[in-house]
Amino acid sequence: MAQGAVAVDTQYDYDIVKKFAIAALFWGVLGMTAGTYIAAELAFPFLNFDMAEISFGRLRPGHTSMVIFGFGGNALFATSYYVVQRTSQARLWNGGLANFTFWGWQAALAIGVIGYLNGITDGKEYAEFPWYVDILIAVVWVAYFLVFVQTLRRRSQPHIYVANWFYLAFILATAILHIFRNLAVPVGLFHPESYSVYAGVQDAMVQWWYGHNAVGFFLTAAFLGMMYYFVPKQAGRPIYSYRLSIIHFWALSFMYMWVGGHHLHWTALPDWTSSLAAAFSIMLLMPSWGGMINGIMTLSGAWEKLRTDPIMLFLITALSFYGMSTFEGPMMSLKSVNALSHYTDWTVGHVHSGALGWVAMISFGSFYHLIPRLWDTRMWSTSLIYVHFWLATIGIVLYIAAMWVSGIGQGLMLRAFDDYGNLAYTFIETVQFMHWPLVVRMLGGMFFVSGILVMCFNVAMTIRAAKQEQAALQGAMAAKVARAGA
Amino acid sequence: MADQTQDKAVQTTGHAWDGDLQEFNNPLPTWWLWTFYATIVFAAIYWIMYPAWPVGTSYTKGLATTTYQDKDGNEVTTGWNTRAELIRDMQSGASALKQKAYLEKVSAASYEEIAADPDMTAFTQSMAKVLFADNCAGCHGTGGAPALIGNYPNLRDDDWLWGGSIERIQETLVHGRLGYMPPFKGVLDETQTRQLASYVLSLSGNSVDAADAQAGKALFESETAGCYYCHTKDATGLYSQGAANLTDQIWTVADVPGATTDEQKLKRVEQIITAGVQRVMPGWSDRLSEDEIKLLTVYVHGLGGGQ
Repeated sequence: MAQGAVAVDTQYDYDIVKKFAIAALFWGVLGMTAGTYIAAELAFPFLNFDMAEISFGRLRPGHTSMVIFGFGGNALFATSYYVVQRTSQARLWNGGLANFTFWGWQAALAIGVIGYLNGITDGKEYAEFPWYVDILIAVVWVAYFLVFVQTLRRRSQPHIYVANWFYLAFILATAILHIFRNLAVPVGLFHPESYSVYAGVQDAMVQWWYGHNAVGFFLTAAFLGMMYYFVPKQAGRPIYSYRLSIIHFWALSFMYMWVGGHHLHWTALPDWTSSLAAAFSIMLLMPSWGGMINGIMTLSGAWEKLRTDPIMLFLITALSFYGMSTFEGPMMSLKSVNALSHYTDWTVGHVHSGALGWVAMISFGSFYHLIPRLWDTRMWSTSLIYVHFWLATIGIVLYIAAMWVSGIGQGLMLRAFDDYGNLAYTFIETVQFMHWPLVVRMLGGMFFVSGILVMCFNVAMTIRAAKQEQAALQGAMAAKVARAGA
Repeated sequence: MADQTQDKAVQTTGHAWDGDLQEFNNPLPTWWLWTFYATIVFAAIYWIMYPAWPVGTSYTKGLATTTYQDKDGNEVTTGWNTRAELIRDMQSGASALKQKAYLEKVSAASYEEIAADPDMTAFTQSMAKVLFADNCAGCHGTGGAPALIGNYPNLRDDDWLWGGSIERIQETLVHGRLGYMPPFKGVLDETQTRQLASYVLSLSGNSVDAADAQAGKALFESETAGCYYCHTKDATGLYSQGAANLTDQIWTVADVPGATTDEQKLKRVEQIITAGVQRVMPGWSDRLSEDEIKLLTVYVHGLGGGQ
C-alpha cells in the first residue's frame, strides 16, 4: 500500500491539492463565522460595540469575499488541480507556478480582507478588493489558466472529460469578468482608492454583469465541474447523459452572460436592457436543471447508497438545492416578482440557498471523497460526517425559511395600503417585523458553522491518523529491509 | 425503468477517464427538452410584447402600451415603459384614487373642520403617521419622543420651544428652526459658571448651594451674561427665540433627569453654558407638499399638548 502511495505521489502532484483543501477549510471557518456574526448584528445591532472594524458595513464584504473566494475559490483550485490530473492521467504542469497560484491567492485574500476591516474598499459588490489586489488576482489567474491548460494538454487520451470543460469555462469567464469589472484609474501609486472607468448606470450595468456571472461561472459552472467528477466517482456509476452535458454546458455558458440586468429592474437602467435580461433568465432555467438531472440521474439504479453513504447525501442534497435555487432565480428575475422581492431578504435567502445549499454542500461532499484519497487513508469518523450533514441541512432550512418570511413579509408590508389609500406601514415597522426572522437566520448560521467545525475536527483527526499509519508502515518496512540486509 | 433502459439499451460513449469514469449516452429527457423550448417561446413572446433589443441608437419598443394623462390632462399612449407605468398607477390606481379624494377634502378644510370631522381626522392620522415616520422620526424618534435628551426636542410632552399652537407648528415645519445659545466659555469664569448653573437648577426645585444660586441670579439678570434677553427675567423662556422655559421640570438640552448626583446635575448644566447650543431643524417646504405639511401639523399638534 505504501508503495502504491509513492507511485501515486510521483504520478500526481497532491501536495498542492492538500494545501488548497486546507486553505479552503481555513477561510471557510473564518468566512462563515464572520457571516454568522453579521447576521447576529442585524438581529441585535449593539453587537457592533461601536467599533468601525467589526461593523456590518466592513465585515459584510469580508464575509462574502472569504466564503466566495476563500472557501469557494480554494475549493475550486483544490478540486480542479485534482480532477485535471486524474482525468488527464498526467502530473500537474509546472509545480512552481501552481505553488505561486496558492500563495498569490492567499495573499490577495489576506490583504483584501484586512483592508476591508480598515475601510479600504472599492464598494462594488463581490469586487470590493482595491486595485492592487485586483492586479495580484489577475496575475494569479493567468498562472492558474496556464497550469490548468498545460496539464490538460498532457492528457493521455484525446477526449477532454466534461468536468474540465466546466472548470475551463469558469477560468476563462472569471478572467474576463474580473478584468472588465475592475478597470479603474488609481488615484495615486500609494492610494488604495481608484476611479472606475464606467460612470452612472453603465457602471451599475457592468457591476451586475459581473455580479451575476460571478454567480454563473464562479459559483455555478465551476461547481458543476466539481459535481461532474465527484458524483459519478462516489456513486461508482457512469454519468447519465453525455448529450445532455454538451447541450446544457453550451446553453448555460451562452445564456448566463445576458442576465445581469435582472438585478436592476425598476431602476435607471433602460427598460429594454432589463426585459432582455429577464427573458434570458427564464431561458436559463432548463440549462441549469440539465446539470441537476445529470447528477441525480447518475445515481439512478444506486439509490440505496443514500441510506449507507453520507457523502452521497451531501452530493444529492447539494443538487436538490441547486435545482431549487435555479428555479427560484428565474422567477425572481421577472419584473412583477422582482418588484416584491428586490431590496428584501428574499434576495439574501435566494443567494444562500445557492451558496450554502449548492456550493458549500457539493464542496463538503467532494472534500469527504477527496481528503482520504489525498492522505491515502479513510475518514476518521463516518458518524461525524452524518452529524455534519444534519447540522448543515438544518442550518440551511432555518436560514432559507427565515429569509422567505422576512423578505416576502417585508415586501408585502411595503406595498400594503389601508382603507384611506395610504401606506399601511412605515418603513421602520417593516424592520421591526424582521427581528424574529433575523434571529432564526442567525441560528441557522450557527448550525452551519458548527457543521464545518465538526468537519475540520474530522479532517484533522484523519490527517493525524494517516501520518501515524504511514510512520508505522515505514518503520515496518525499514525493519524488513534491515532483516533482509542481515 | 430509466435504470433498465440505461443499462441495457443505452451504451456508454466508450471513453473512460481515471479508471472508471464513463458516460452513458442517454437522449435528452423529453420533458426537459420541451420545457426548454417552452421557455424559448416565452422569451420570444416577451420580446415581442416589451422593449427588448437594441437597434442602432434605439431599441424595439414592443407591442404593449401604457396610457396616462400628461400634466395638461391630455391622454397619452406610449410604448410600455416603467416610468409611464408608475405615472399611470399614481393617477388611476385604486389606492391612489382613494387617497386623492381624501386629500382634496382635507386640503379644502380648515384645521377646525378637520378636528371636527372623525373621518378626516382618521385619514390625517393614517397618512401623517407614515409621513412622520419617514421624514421626522430620524431625529424625533418613531413616536415623537427621542430616546436621549439633548439632541432633538421631545414632541410628546407639553413643553414647546417655538410654540405649540397650530400656526407655530406649521411655521416650524415650513421654515425650519435654528436653535442657538452662544457659548459662554471665556465670558464667564468657572466660579461664575457654577453660580449660574446653580441658579438654573434652583428654578426647577433642585437643591443647590443657596449662596451660589443667589450670585447666579444676579449674573442671569446682568449684562455680563445677559441670559434674560432670551430666557426672560422670570426664566420662563421665549417662543420667538426658541429659548427654553427653565422653571419647569422638562429638560430639552441638558440631561438633568439622567444625572444621579447633585454634582453631576451641575456639571451637565455647566457644560451647556460653556459650550452653548446649536440645533437645526431644516425647513420642509421644498420636500413636502402644502397638504403633507398640513397633515403633519395636525399630527404633531396631537402628539403632545398642542396649544
